[in-house]
Amino acid sequence: MRKGLIQATDGFERIVHWSLALSCIALCITGLGMMYQSFNFIGDMMGGLKSLKYVHNFTGVFFGVALYFTIRMWWKEAGIFSMPEDLAWIRCAGGYLWHVDKVPETGKYNPGQKMFFLVVAGFGVIMFLTGLMMWFPLSFPPLIVRLMYVLHALGFVVIFAFFFVHLYLGTIGSPGSLDAMLTGWVSRAWLKKQHPKWLKEMEEHGTLVVYGAEKPSAKGHH
Amino acid sequence: MAEITKLIDVSKCTGCRSCQLACKQWNQQPAKQTENYGTYQNPPDLQSNTWTLIRFQEIAEKDKVKWLFRKDGCMHCTNAACVKVCPSGALHYTDFGTVAVTNSLCIGCKECVSACPFEIPRYDRVTDKIYKCDLCLSRIEADLIPACAKACPTGAITFGDKNAMIKKAYARAKELGGDANVYGDKFVGGTHVIYVLTEKPRVYDALPDKPCVPFSLIVWKDMLKPLSLLAAGGVLAGSFLHYILHGPKLPDEPGKEEKGGE
Repeated sequence: MRKGLIQATDGFERIVHWSLALSCIALCITGLGMMYQSFNFIGDMMGGLKSLKYVHNFTGVFFGVALYFTIRMWWKEAGIFSMPEDLAWIRCAGGYLWHVDKVPETGKYNPGQKMFFLVVAGFGVIMFLTGLMMWFPLSFPPLIVRLMYVLHALGFVVIFAFFFVHLYLGTIGSPGSLDAMLTGWVSRAWLKKQHPKWLKEMEEHGTLVVYGAEKPSAKGHH
Repeated sequence: MAEITKLIDVSKCTGCRSCQLACKQWNQQPAKQTENYGTYQNPPDLQSNTWTLIRFQEIAEKDKVKWLFRKDGCMHCTNAACVKVCPSGALHYTDFGTVAVTNSLCIGCKECVSACPFEIPRYDRVTDKIYKCDLCLSRIEADLIPACAKACPTGAITFGDKNAMIKKAYARAKELGGDANVYGDKFVGGTHVIYVLTEKPRVYDALPDKPCVPFSLIVWKDMLKPLSLLAAGGVLAGSFLHYILHGPKLPDEPGKEEKGGE
């Protein structure tokens, strides 16, 4: 760690994030193994498609638990839009799609991230509930179960596409962002560019944690 | 190979259940303990080891009681919902046009159970697999007729070339007259088990009037399934274009920060 870096996430946030992220990836891969017969070979790595089914189901339970903590942890920060500044940001797409002279300053999460969070949280809950019913399909009327398959597939379409958006913007599309979820320490320049309002808030409230600083103030998240 | 069809003429069925027994015998399925619950229908429903079943119905008419016997079992659809949803290829079409199960491939997901418009596949908890009639694939491959057809003493179950059987069915329905009708050749692409029914289809227990591949399965398998890869591919392509045309969002160089915005 370098002197002057600022703590953007705490350990709990990162553990919850990666629990959700890794289980989500595992679910996408195993799900593909069942959705496409041409991907059945993914099951071979797990001792057959039947084992893959169990890996998928139990990973789903883990995903559900991680999702619970994700929503509990980020609901207030990323689940609620603060108007009107978020609307102004959405109107110019945060400067991500075309040139914008002055992008409205964003806090810890910009409206794009909030939308991403809400979609993942919403469809995550749908995936968990529909998946649970698909696990025990004989306990429900066939008409209901058929609808669950449709919703589960729809959730996959959305989450799988959003995964790649997240992957791009979390890595090469926004250099420096990955550190926030890997070590938790980011540069001041990155923070000033990405979340200027949050930086100001932390400075005002004295909650800014700077690496190597004399007096680390109160912890960031909890 | 030519498509085959099994024709069940319910007007000739006496409800003797030889077909039920022959099915168990050829497929080496044990019987379950029976129980009298006030009908000749036994067992009460299709089971993971009972792939065909004579359904008994009593219809009260003005001055008499009419008995209906219908041999229930897999209809072997041309557009089979079960094959459409099966993730492993355990359920598959054969060269005869029938739908067979490769048991070793079944993962017990039960997707076919809720997909089938005739509610045929049955799940077995012990083996964690589904089971259903395969129209005696092992017999028809050896040029033998299915066990049920072989055992039928009245000629209610006959077996042969698809077109010949359909022709025979319509001739028989015409001969019977009245409400007699042919059931099976007009939906789900045509089934490979067809009935000559003496009553209208809706009179019979557990027989759907207008069976079809459920619309939800079409949305799921024909629309959302390809869309999942298309959408992800679109996002990847979009991200690449974004990177080379718009460029990544980079922190400002130290000292130039105040200009802000991009």
